[in-house]
Amino acid sequence: MNRVKNSLKTTRRSFLKGAVTLGAAAALGGYAGLTRNSPLNLFEAASAAPAGEEKLIKTICPHCSVGCGTLGRVVDGVFVGQEAWADNPLNLGGMCSKGASIRDIVVSEKRLKYPMEKSGGVWKRITWDEAINKIAGKMNEIREKYGPDSVMLLGSAKTTLHESYLQRKFAAFWGSNNVDHQARICHSTTVGGLIPTWGHGAQTDNYNDLRHSKCLFFIGSNAAEAHPVAMQHALIAKERGAKIVVADPRFTRTASKADLHLRLRPGTDIPLILAICNVIVNNKWHDTAFIEARTHGFDEFWDVCKDYTPELAEDITGVPADKIKEVARIFKENGPMAIIWSMGGTQHSVGSQNIRSYAILQLLLGYVGKSGGGCAALRGHDNVQGTTDMGCLSHYLPGYQSVSSEPAWKMWCNIWGIGYDDMVKRFASKDLMLRNGMTDSRWYEGAIRDDINQPNRIKMVIVWGHSLNSITQMKKEKKALEEVEMIVNIDPRATMTSSLPERNDGIIILPAATVMEKEGMVVTSGRSAQWRYKVIDPLFESKSDLEILKLLADKLGFGQYFTYSSVDDIYTKEICKGVRSIGMMGRTPDRIRKHMENSSTFDPENIMARGGPCDGEYYGLPWPCWDEKHPGTPLLWDDSKPVSKGGHDFRALWGDKVADNKYKLHVGESMLKAEGGKKMYSNAAGVNYALDTTGEAVQLALAAGDPPTGRGRARFWAWDLTDPVPIHREPIESPRPDLIAKYPTYADKDKTYYRVPCEFKTAQNPELVKKFPIILTTGRQVEHMGGGAQTRGSKILAEIQPDMYVEINPTLAGNIGVKEGEMVWVESNQGKVLVKAKITERVNEKTVFMPYHWAGVFEGASYEDRYPEGTGEYVYGDSCNIVTAPGYDEITAMQETKVGLCNVYKAQGG
Amino acid sequence: MPTNKFLVDTSRCIRCTGCEAACKQFNEVPQGIRRLRVVTINEGKPGETNVPMPCMHCTKPPCLSACPVTAIYKRDDGVVLVNKDKCIGCGYCLYACPFGAPQFPDTGLFGSKGKMDKCTFCIEPFNQKDEDGNLIQREAKPRCSVFCGTKALLAGDIGAITEEYKKRIAGKLPSGAVPDVA
Ligand code: SF4
Ligand code: SF4
Repeated sequence: MNRVKNSLKTTRRSFLKGAVTLGAAAALGGYAGLTRNSPLNLFEAASAAPAGEEKLIKTICPHCSVGCGTLGRVVDGVFVGQEAWADNPLNLGGMCSKGASIRDIVVSEKRLKYPMEKSGGVWKRITWDEAINKIAGKMNEIREKYGPDSVMLLGSAKTTLHESYLQRKFAAFWGSNNVDHQARICHSTTVGGLIPTWGHGAQTDNYNDLRHSKCLFFIGSNAAEAHPVAMQHALIAKERGAKIVVADPRFTRTASKADLHLRLRPGTDIPLILAICNVIVNNKWHDTAFIEARTHGFDEFWDVCKDYTPELAEDITGVPADKIKEVARIFKENGPMAIIWSMGGTQHSVGSQNIRSYAILQLLLGYVGKSGGGCAALRGHDNVQGTTDMGCLSHYLPGYQSVSSEPAWKMWCNIWGIGYDDMVKRFASKDLMLRNGMTDSRWYEGAIRDDINQPNRIKMVIVWGHSLNSITQMKKEKKALEEVEMIVNIDPRATMTSSLPERNDGIIILPAATVMEKEGMVVTSGRSAQWRYKVIDPLFESKSDLEILKLLADKLGFGQYFTYSSVDDIYTKEICKGVRSIGMMGRTPDRIRKHMENSSTFDPENIMARGGPCDGEYYGLPWPCWDEKHPGTPLLWDDSKPVSKGGHDFRALWGDKVADNKYKLHVGESMLKAEGGKKMYSNAAGVNYALDTTGEAVQLALAAGDPPTGRGRARFWAWDLTDPVPIHREPIESPRPDLIAKYPTYADKDKTYYRVPCEFKTAQNPELVKKFPIILTTGRQVEHMGGGAQTRGSKILAEIQPDMYVEINPTLAGNIGVKEGEMVWVESNQGKVLVKAKITERVNEKTVFMPYHWAGVFEGASYEDRYPEGTGEYVYGDSCNIVTAPGYDEITAMQETKVGLCNVYKAQGG
Repeated sequence: MPTNKFLVDTSRCIRCTGCEAACKQFNEVPQGIRRLRVVTINEGKPGETNVPMPCMHCTKPPCLSACPVTAIYKRDDGVVLVNKDKCIGCGYCLYACPFGAPQFPDTGLFGSKGKMDKCTFCIEPFNQKDEDGNLIQREAKPRCSVFCGTKALLAGDIGAITEEYKKRIAGKLPSGAVPDVA
């Protein structure tokens, strides 16, 4: 024991040395637990120390949707280090560098310490009272002058489920749909592509299920850097004989583990997938029994697909036809195959259709709904699945209910304890209440132009947990930040929001607690919830988002709707009641905490508990979890099990028959499963299960052995979309004028497109390639996350990855006369950035790549000196989103960061 | 008495650098010192391979033989450590080590002027002594390995980690073809 004690003394001393200013002697809260050994861990469990010495607190990594667990080591309320949570079934203790540096981020001396205001060109410390008064005062002033829609609220995927839900609710009580968050630019197109295909927009499987795939098809996912611990499961599958195929414009670290790498031209996923489907159908490798029983519209699909031959696809994608044929055979011979994507698939002007094409491939092969046959949308943030579920989006209410639905508003008003008419009065008009708001991806347009679909421009922006450099069109964004009357930044760090705009006044920054300093639920990409226990109390003057929400709501006069007796209350009294569409009713905080405490009983092979108090339940109760006895649904659409054991079926979202459509095709054909088909359940009064707060409809369904969502058919042919079947459309910035002529993008959108007009066809200029001949694509570095404000503020991560760079192929580098490490300009139609050259064959000679985590330099000029003193980050770099393309997904307004055109040249003196 | 070793399953390593960060946070290693670094060969090309490189705790450590002041010693459990009180910072160990494991802080950094530092199997943090001047000796449990994102970096008793590794490659090879990696 003496040894342990000694080591702790040292740790504590050296930590406190750096922390004299922290005032960190906070009381210890939360849960203290030790863990048992897991089969893969070759070591003893974390050493136990006498009470009062060291406590180990179970918590969840804040950086990606794998949801790795870790143990916070706490001594006398001080966060002294981390231990591995070896029996967390999702990661078995494993973490990437971001996860292993959580403490470093929390105790970083660059954190924001107290509220500050920039006025008269200088940053001043202010009190919380002053700050809240000023913010609420300005909001009310703007409401008076311009209406509530002139405030834009950018929420966060870094919040807990409870907080995200309240951010959405806050916007409703403020009276505007101008609320959005990172899900818009992360996986909105996954939702936009999957819901029209089969009714829900989430990952169908979970990370652990990848172990059971016979083939893993990564397309637009560099999991080895973006979701590193997912590779633990993927490589276990490989050891068991699975094939790995990676389609990516770069030879990524993921591709280095593959049997086959397809280097496709960015923005050509659809022709690649359609050609694979073409080979499958021509060889009669498709699963006709599955297609007949559980899908609709195959013929319409084939009508499109038959023209996409491997040879045609070779011309468009650059992938040789024989490789396409080989891949089709691999997929057939190695089933079930899981298809795995991330922002390489989603961030395109055809993003929703990309994702639809992936889903269609899985329908064709009949793999979906089977273990190993996942459609794995690897989401970005730790809780972005949860915050999407909570509807912190400008077109949704919590639970994917459209803002245009009056019944949905009425249900929520009922839960919130406010009359519907009173809610309407909070908005500028009922019309605006039922209208999609502005998006995260294009909010700045609302601040700098007048042809918008609301009374006045955005005049104030509240950036609540978002690094704005992850949004494209940064020059416009900068202008917007300079034009609005007030900027509020609520974050553990000052972030570029406070420093990018050149302005002397009107910025208030509030120190938010980090995720380790508060508790609540977070949801992995696999729809499993975990309870993130509080490791320490908030440091400095920072406050949790819940507290800040309450302070603001109180000041704005609707605090009574934000009064809860506990964090659990928010969940049990409201979320469980209202978020019925995806079955949140059974997922109570108590049950989730029980899973955390008994994590060792869950089998990493299938995340099911064996024995113990959670016997038969799936870890984190993946939604839908229909009632308090339900074990959770590990695999969506899996009809091989009873619903009571986690079985499921395609959601009957389109009623029992094909509706009247503009093609006048297939009208009246059945949309219910061939055998045992069921409509979505309603209660006796005819209220759909999703809005039936009595719970009667759900119980009717469960009694009949059905999911309340019914048993319907998935759609090959989505008659209500612009393209009912995915077709190729060239990216907005395309290097192929010939293909632009043949496969043009969509028509321009008017101001009803999330309140701001958007150019598609007009923006697609076939001449652009003459001036900007090189393709630009973007992505991640494993050490950093999102806009990087947190990770670049960690000494450890800044040391391991200190550089922003552009990857250039040796041939291109030779042609433009650039050597390793030299500074180059990367310039596009949007702007330019000054970055270091990294010469590598990861990219081909037509393409360059930049990571998107960097800020603090803008078109070569540092704005480090504009951060308030003592804040900022350890490393800075120019932001690639100054140059990325102005493309947007037609359905969701997702930004197109994965393909654009640029030029690269050596900087003077570089 | 176990014999402690590292074993790297390069087919699993993805260079997520979890090991590097875990080491830094657990051992409070200052900037500039890398007790472990993941090296990538053939970067961006077919054959790309990542190898985490800590101190390998050699059976016959060349650094130990090279040290002119016998500052380096090997424990009964196989772990090679350095006595920083004895170290004169000459750097011979670095020349002798085939893995480049010995690290030397820049002058002035945290007052430890040129004392050699390297992986200690997590037995000793960067500052070897606590505030009362006692040598810190923790259990031999490398956090790089327990935190490894893919379980590529195995550490512990040579017998146990060899068993684990054999199990993994058993799936890839025809039965009876498992080589003896010990
Ligand atoms: S970033 Fe993702 S993979 Fe890395 S430790 Fe966190 S949750 Fe795990
Ligand atoms: S943590 Fe494991 S997988 Fe990641 S770089 Fe280190 S050894 Fe490789």
